[in-house]
Amino acid sequence: MMSSKLSRRRLMARGAAATAAGFAGFHVSGAHAAGKLSVGLWDHWVPGANNTMNELCKEWADREKVDLQIDYITTIGQKHQLTVAAEAAARAGHDLMIFTGWAASDHARLLEPVDDIMADLVKSNGAPNRTAEYLGKVNGKWVAVPWAVMSALKPPCSRIDLMKQHAGIDVQAMYPAGSAPKADNWTWDTFLVAAEKCAKAGVPFGLPISQFGDSVDWVGALFQAYGAQLVNSKGEIIVKSDAVKQVLEYGKKLVQWLPNDVFSWDDAANNRWLISGKGALIMNPPSSWAVAVRDAPQIGSQLWTHGMPAGPKGRYAPFTSNFAGVWTFAKNKSAAKSLLRHLSSPAAVEKLVAASQGYDIPSFANLTTFKTWAEVGPPKGTLYHYPNPHNHQIASIAAAPAPPRIANQIYVQGVMPKMIARITQGGESIDKCLDWAQKELQGFKRA
Amino acid sequence: MTTAMATDVNAAARRGSLKKSRRWALIWSYVFLAIFAGFFLLPPIYMFITSLKTSAEISAATNPWWVFNPTLDNYKALLTSKEFLIFFRNSTVVSVCVVIITMIVSILAAFSLARMKFWGSATLATGVFLTYLVPDTLLFIPLFKIFAWLHEVTDIQFINRWWMLIILYPTLTVPFCTWIMIGYFASIPKELDEAAIMDGASYMQVLTRIFIPVALPGIIAATIFAFTVSWAQFLYPLAFTTSTDQLMLPVGIVTTLIKGDVFNWGQIMTGALLGALPPLVIYAFLMDYYIAGLTAGATKG
Amino acid sequence: MPQGAAIASARGRRTGSSLSKAAKRRSTIAFLMALPLIVLITALVLYPAGYALHLSTLNKSMEEFVGFENFEYLFERETFWMVVWQSCIFAITAVIFKALIGFIVAHIVHNIPLKGQRKWRGMLLVPWVIPPAMSTLAWLWLFDSSYSAFNWLIEGVGGPRIPWLGETGWARFSIILVNVWYGAPFFMIMYLAALKSVPEQLYEAAAIDGAGWWQRMWFITLPMMRNIIAITVLFSTIVTFSNFDIVRVLTAGGPIDTTHVFATYAFKLGIEASDIPLGAAVSLFMFPLLALAAIVILRDVSRRGNQT
Repeated sequence: MMSSKLSRRRLMARGAAATAAGFAGFHVSGAHAAGKLSVGLWDHWVPGANNTMNELCKEWADREKVDLQIDYITTIGQKHQLTVAAEAAARAGHDLMIFTGWAASDHARLLEPVDDIMADLVKSNGAPNRTAEYLGKVNGKWVAVPWAVMSALKPPCSRIDLMKQHAGIDVQAMYPAGSAPKADNWTWDTFLVAAEKCAKAGVPFGLPISQFGDSVDWVGALFQAYGAQLVNSKGEIIVKSDAVKQVLEYGKKLVQWLPNDVFSWDDAANNRWLISGKGALIMNPPSSWAVAVRDAPQIGSQLWTHGMPAGPKGRYAPFTSNFAGVWTFAKNKSAAKSLLRHLSSPAAVEKLVAASQGYDIPSFANLTTFKTWAEVGPPKGTLYHYPNPHNHQIASIAAAPAPPRIANQIYVQGVMPKMIARITQGGESIDKCLDWAQKELQGFKRA
Repeated sequence: MTTAMATDVNAAARRGSLKKSRRWALIWSYVFLAIFAGFFLLPPIYMFITSLKTSAEISAATNPWWVFNPTLDNYKALLTSKEFLIFFRNSTVVSVCVVIITMIVSILAAFSLARMKFWGSATLATGVFLTYLVPDTLLFIPLFKIFAWLHEVTDIQFINRWWMLIILYPTLTVPFCTWIMIGYFASIPKELDEAAIMDGASYMQVLTRIFIPVALPGIIAATIFAFTVSWAQFLYPLAFTTSTDQLMLPVGIVTTLIKGDVFNWGQIMTGALLGALPPLVIYAFLMDYYIAGLTAGATKG
Repeated sequence: MPQGAAIASARGRRTGSSLSKAAKRRSTIAFLMALPLIVLITALVLYPAGYALHLSTLNKSMEEFVGFENFEYLFERETFWMVVWQSCIFAITAVIFKALIGFIVAHIVHNIPLKGQRKWRGMLLVPWVIPPAMSTLAWLWLFDSSYSAFNWLIEGVGGPRIPWLGETGWARFSIILVNVWYGAPFFMIMYLAALKSVPEQLYEAAAIDGAGWWQRMWFITLPMMRNIIAITVLFSTIVTFSNFDIVRVLTAGGPIDTTHVFATYAFKLGIEASDIPLGAAVSLFMFPLLALAAIVILRDVSRRGNQT
């Protein structure tokens, strides 16, 4: 399935095949001695990735003799959130369901504990990273299994040529393919200078300051790099701190070098910014690179995915983790758990990552060095640093370490990007903005 | 009027200036019409332009209003795609069934509410319209619950089945259609049906032999409304259907041609244009009836 | 009384009671005919609506009854009142423009020679025919910051790059524009229908009396169209107040929440932030107000309908 180099033609052919055939639904009907199982999985953004999932599931269904029904649920139009909300409210639906990080902890009461599976997975796959633990473990119990599919980091994806030409930064030298990064100077301050230079050269960075996921993620990592927490892990509101003021000051300086409509950019707007050649850098999973290779090859071959800049309190990378869980009202819990184990084995995960062309990021320590990331191109090695192979940055979700119940609200309502937008586009003073945030955060404490 | 005026000497001159001012009014009318048509047609035209482009040309950020390498690939891809044809079939079947159910329910109800009256019928007539006030953004959760319960009881799966929308959509179409039909039936002279009843006709006969033929334009108007609404619905099919072979056209287009943060613009535009064709064709054929039907229904309602 | 009735029915089995019996039979048939409607509305609208109301009185985890606490919570939020205000601006402005444009266009189409009308009508209806979920995407594409075809034209003549969706003023303008674009044809077709129903003799009589254009408009056209204007505006106001697609696709409420309307805000709180009771409270907030308006207008309309 995976070739060392994905040629443009193959990418296109794959896309076409996926639109032409590829049902987002799959049914394996065997002797079904072990009953029926219905599962709701991600409809993968990468064309063709569902097929590999189908193969893996079929393998399991044939072995276990289970009548398996897979529904691939898209994230478009918030379809996935609608489905989860509806199934939780109705106490009926699929047996096994996928969740975004927040949804798993939100529905913890309705999820079957999976500590037994996790104990085995830690043995075979290594320790889960701390974001996975933060989101998937509720009151000391794992409520869902970290799920590689569509879990992603959102590190910078830069134009090699433009960064060299206008900002004097050689991203390939800083993050060489196949070896450890030499990025000690790659800080948010350097980043600001580069943003200014690129903006003045007419290719500003494309960083959204809206309420969409991409925006919340990178702004969250920026806040973390400055140690700016809105709510601490005990649930206390600590927004009125020097660190928050400092990061807001920084945001103010950065925003002036961004395009003037970033305040409502959706998750696709930054991709288009990069692919149209208008910008030198965005922060996104490799989907934008993959499309550039297909539609605008001259730009695609100049893209390099690399690490985040570091701040005073460390180098944080935005990470969104997904989970798979079993509803307490599921009809066939044992089969669902068995399938979870099957799909979480190192071999299965490696196949899934390959099928996603490196998009998926597993949350387990031993699963971040598959050869897929080292090999895809052009340019070769462009994704080598995407899964954070040298652990030189801390993968974290925005608003952590606030208790997930509150962090979820901060994340979904985009409080952090909104704060930056208020003091820049909204023209508010920092103090007034902090008052507003304080009040907003108090509201999030409701049970 | 004309004969009275013709005798007047000044009339000829006045008519001349009248004719002239009429011509100017007409010219201005066309100018304004062209402006409005421009506003209304701008997005569809742009959709058409985009639908003729390849992804590479769309990405290249050249002149967006011109096609340098026109291609019919997007049309070919969609029209030969099994998925798209299934969406089309689902939408067609659902819309046609919804129209039929809607018309049966609303004609019966309108007849009884407009003519026969029973305890509470006036309240019901007003109440029917108020159902539009209940926002469907959250309605789907209780509905989901109902369908899950029905699944328990009857062992028939309702969720993720396209035909289930045939039951759901009438809630969106029936109130407006009932209301059009009430207005229409109310305008039919009472003597007509009273005479028929005297002659021993049953209420059903009155309805089928007198009311339906007379109110045909109104029925056509309601039909078109019901068809457009069920053809365009987005939220219910999004919430209740998942598998690709169960999707309606708009949801299918949007969910299969947008992959996360990647939009397949050329095909989306093509799909939108192809999706607009069936209602457009229906309008073209039935427009005159539509206008006549709405007139009688609406003004009397 | 039962005795009297019994006597009456015994006495007049042929004459008196057959009338009341017929009336009773008649209302039974009437009820049966309306039954499908009643069942449909009860099962698929009334019950879920009641359930949504029930949801709005629960706490976040949907386990406890909290009465009006959700509403109290909302009333303390600055953002909520912003949403109320924005929804009103959005709905009222959009409906006014839809009604105005619909009215003007309907008049113009009505006044041009009959044989051209069909063609123009067809063209002007196109926005209403394209499923809005998809036409809104076309607008998104026209507004996109990298590929905006509008900005390409504007920059081509040396104008500035307009942040169509990125700045409060422009973003509000854009979502209203798209809503007007989509909804105006519906008004046009409704008004055109009403215009066609005004008897030509009325205008001829007015012309003989020397009535000017304004007088004819004021004393003939508007009164004749009053019902249809009232009902179209009512219908459109309700639908526009619950509009979801346009804002969701174009801005999702941004920048800084300044384009959120009830439906999108309810969705954000209820589904995305998994606080379904709060979302239900948001979406039910307008219900009493709109219901009151609807009842007043509908009663007025049906009263006048009965007079004619």
